Formats: sequence, structure tokens, C-alpha cells
Amino acid sequence: MDFVINFDFSSLFAFILFGLTIGVVYGIVALGISLIYSGLDIVHFAHGEVYMFGAFFGLVFSKTLGFPYPVALVMAMICAAMLGMFIERVFYRRLTKGGGGYTVAGMGMIICGFAMSIVLMNVAFLIWGAGAEPFHVDLGMPYQFGDITLPKSYALTALMAILLMGSLHYFLKKTKIGLAIRAVAANKDIAYLMGINVPLMISLIFGLACGLAAAAGVLIGPMQSVQVEMGYLMLLKAFAAAVVGGFGSLPGAIIGGLIVGIAENLGAAYISPNHKDIYAFLILILVLMFKPSGLFGVVARVKA
Amino acid sequence: MLKVSGLTTGYGKIQILRGVNLSVAEGTIVALLGGNGTGKSTLLKALSGLLPVWEGSIEFDGEPIQNLPPHTIVRTGLTQVTQGKDSYPAMTVEENLMLGAYVRNDKVAIASDLERVYSFFPRLLERRKQLSATLSGGEVQMLVVGRGLMASPKLLMLDEPSAALAPKIVMDIFATINRIRKTGVSILMVEQNVRMALLLAEYGYIIRDGVILIEGKARDLISDPNVKASFLGGTVVDTSREIKA
Repeated sequence: MDFVINFDFSSLFAFILFGLTIGVVYGIVALGISLIYSGLDIVHFAHGEVYMFGAFFGLVFSKTLGFPYPVALVMAMICAAMLGMFIERVFYRRLTKGGGGYTVAGMGMIICGFAMSIVLMNVAFLIWGAGAEPFHVDLGMPYQFGDITLPKSYALTALMAILLMGSLHYFLKKTKIGLAIRAVAANKDIAYLMGINVPLMISLIFGLACGLAAAAGVLIGPMQSVQVEMGYLMLLKAFAAAVVGGFGSLPGAIIGGLIVGIAENLGAAYISPNHKDIYAFLILILVLMFKPSGLFGVVARVKA
Repeated sequence: MLKVSGLTTGYGKIQILRGVNLSVAEGTIVALLGGNGTGKSTLLKALSGLLPVWEGSIEFDGEPIQNLPPHTIVRTGLTQVTQGKDSYPAMTVEENLMLGAYVRNDKVAIASDLERVYSFFPRLLERRKQLSATLSGGEVQMLVVGRGLMASPKLLMLDEPSAALAPKIVMDIFATINRIRKTGVSILMVEQNVRMALLLAEYGYIIRDGVILIEGKARDLISDPNVKASFLGGTVVDTSREIKA
């Protein structure tokens, strides 16, 4: 049994550190899913594919066009945000035309999300093919903390993720548009009466969420590789993270992501690495059994 | 200032309003009265653009505004104040008020309007950093009225400002509505508290089953036997006397 590791604190610390790093990425995707859910009351099932597109955008900008990695990250975010707003405007919004808006269109919207996920995956397949593309980013030597070796891409990922979350928090709490987005999320009719252009804000929410997914894709690219099918597993894990944290809660999404990331790494290290992808859902089931509203979930959301 | 003619609308296929005519003159308070389910709130929703207008027209400041999107209508100076329960409970008092000023960009004027709202409602100043979920019913009502004022409206539409409030607080709110009118804002007030509303307003409309049943000067409506019979409890007293005799 070569995967049984002698227990020592520095390797435990390393697993937790890696778990946190991958966890913030789950957290970012979960943040987008939660943002769309809290804004529109729908679960966006094509979000994994937006994440995949983001990773490919990053690859194109950094490898093919030769932009520096941080620039590629930002540009991939912008492209994915535009892709998200395009999808929302052209496809999802049509479903709301029957009246009642997003909340009422729920079931149709979920099916449309699944369809969009398949369409996006096949479009990506046509453009980039089925193979896994390596995403090399040369960041230099890894950091060394005592016994622990931390690749620079991990450190950069954690840093960028924290930076993104911080700016999202600032944007939502301190700016006028952020206030308007929160108003639309809480109550669309009242937001209209405040003079807020609600459809525009919904587009913005989609763009923001898709931009975050793309950031996650570009951040995870150098750790794994970029391929067409990378989206659905990420969607499931980010979904698990969002539910663990409390669906619709933004801090909950991040904490949920961290929990899922750590659980995954510890499970792989101490139980079995062959079933790495199971632990997220184990946590999900446990949380649903004992605290169905999630760790930070609001049990009864106040909605008019 | 506001002129509604032949307005019909409803939810889905169910028609609620069946040809409503109503107007509000500049600088006045107009009361729209009626019981539950008579179409009062539906009319407000149609005026502010939340419901599509099926037939008829709405003219505000000489411009037709029917079927404009709600956020465009707010910019014309027609602001709806919802019931108190429709504040944003997860936002602070000040965030709620600043949302009211969302359509404006003049920072200096917004700041002075914020001060004016706080001078109308000193309780809101004390609680400006609190989440509005922590406010009492009366305070939330003050908050939504204040939020409406922050849009710097020409016409303020109030949806049952006295609903579910203690009599003392209703007095306060109505006194403030009167002060708001004196600053030059016209007011269309939807109310179930008929007596109080008619004491404050210049003109009144009584709506039932989606049509205007009676309209007239508030002073005349208070003494109108039909209004007395249906709203002010006149006949109840009379019949009880007959039963005893």
C-alpha cells in the first residue's frame, strides 16, 4: 500500500495548504453560482463550461498570443464575462418573455442551462479538440517552507483568488452598482421602483459570475491541464461547495469551497487517492443530512 | 399633473381594473380609498410600470408614460413608495435611503436631501447603520417614505402608509406626509384608513371591483352618506338602534 503515508504534522500542513489553494478556486466558481442563484433564483448548470471556456481563453492569450500570465487572466475574465452576458441576453432572457421573470421561468431555465452546457462543450470541442492541453506558466522555483514545497502557481492562485474575492466584496458593498446588484438580488420589483435598470443588472450579474468562473479556469490551468471535459466535475464540486456553505450566500460559497478543497486533499492523502472526487460529495451529503440549509445558509430568505 | 384615463389592466388573463379615470393636481394630496382586493395596489403597479397597461392612457407632466419600463418612469419624477415590509431588510437604513437616490448623480443635492429625510424622521438618523430588518413597523414605514423622498420626486405615490401601525404612529406619518406636501411634492395616497386619509387629502376617489365608485372633494366625501355607509360605519350604528327598538 504505497499511498499510506506516515503521519506527521508537516505533511498534514502541506495537504491542508494544497486543499486551501484548490479550495479557493472551487470557492470562486461557487461564488459565481451563488451570485446567479441569489440574483435570479436559478441554478446555472452551464457554469462549468464557462469555466472551461475561461481556461481555454487564458491558454489562447498566454500561449498562442504570448501575453504575460496575469494579463491573460484578466483578458480571459473579460472574454468569459462577455460570453456570459451574450448567453444571458440571447438565450436565457427569451425564457422570461412569457412573463414572471426569472423566478417563474425556473424549470425551463434549468433545462436551458443543461442544453447550453452541452452546446458550449461541443463548440469547444470543435475549436480545440478533445485532447488535454498543458498550460505551462513559468513562474520560477517553488517556495520552500521547512519541509514543505509550495509551487509558485499555488501561491499565485491563492493570492489572486483572495484579491478577486476582496475586490468583489468591495464592489458589492461600497459601489453604487454593487448596491444596485444587491437590491436586484433581494427584490426585483422594488429595485425597479428605485429606478434600477433590472435587466441590465441581471446581465451584469451573469457577466460577473462568468468572469469569476474564467478566473478559476485560468488559475487551475497551470496545476492541471486544460481540456473540453474539465467543466462538469468543477460544476459539481462548486455546486457542492455552494450547498455546503449555504446556497445563495457569498461568504458561504467561499467557506464551502475551502471545506471541499481540504476534505478532498485530506481524503486523498489519508483514505484513498483513487477516490479523490468522492469526498466533496461525502461532505455534501453530510451537510444536507445535518444542516440542510448549509453552514451559512439563511433558512427563510426574506423575499416579498 | 397625473392624468389616468380609461385604464384597464390585470394579472395574466385576470382583469382587475376596468376603466379607471383619475387625476392628481399639482401640489395636492389625493386619496385613493377602498377595501382589500379592490384594485388599489394594482393601479399603483400599473402607474409605476410594474404591470403592463392593457388599455387607456397615463399622462404625467404632459407626457404619456404608459408601458414605459419602471426604471424609466422613476426618472420622470413619479415615485412609488411601497408598503413598509418592502424595505431591504438585509441592508442598512442608509443603504436603503441611498438606493432611493439611485437615479440621481448630483452628490451635493443627494447629501442635503439625506439630511432633510433625517430631519423628517430623526429615528432614522439614530439607526442609520442598523439593518432595516431590526426596525419596528413604524420605523420601516418612515424608511420607505424617506427612501421615496430621496428620489426627489414630483409626485409621490404612497401605498397604505398607515397599514398595521399604532394610531400614534399613524398620526406621525400623516403629519409628515402633510409636511412633504408643503415642500411642493404632490401625493397620491392609497389608504384603507378612510377617515384619516380624507381629513388630510383635498380630493378622494373610492374604488371598488376595479372601477371608481365615487369621487369628490375630501370634505364632501366625509359627509357623503354612501361613503359613511360603506366605510365610516354609519349604518352599523343605525341598524343596531333599529334592532334594539
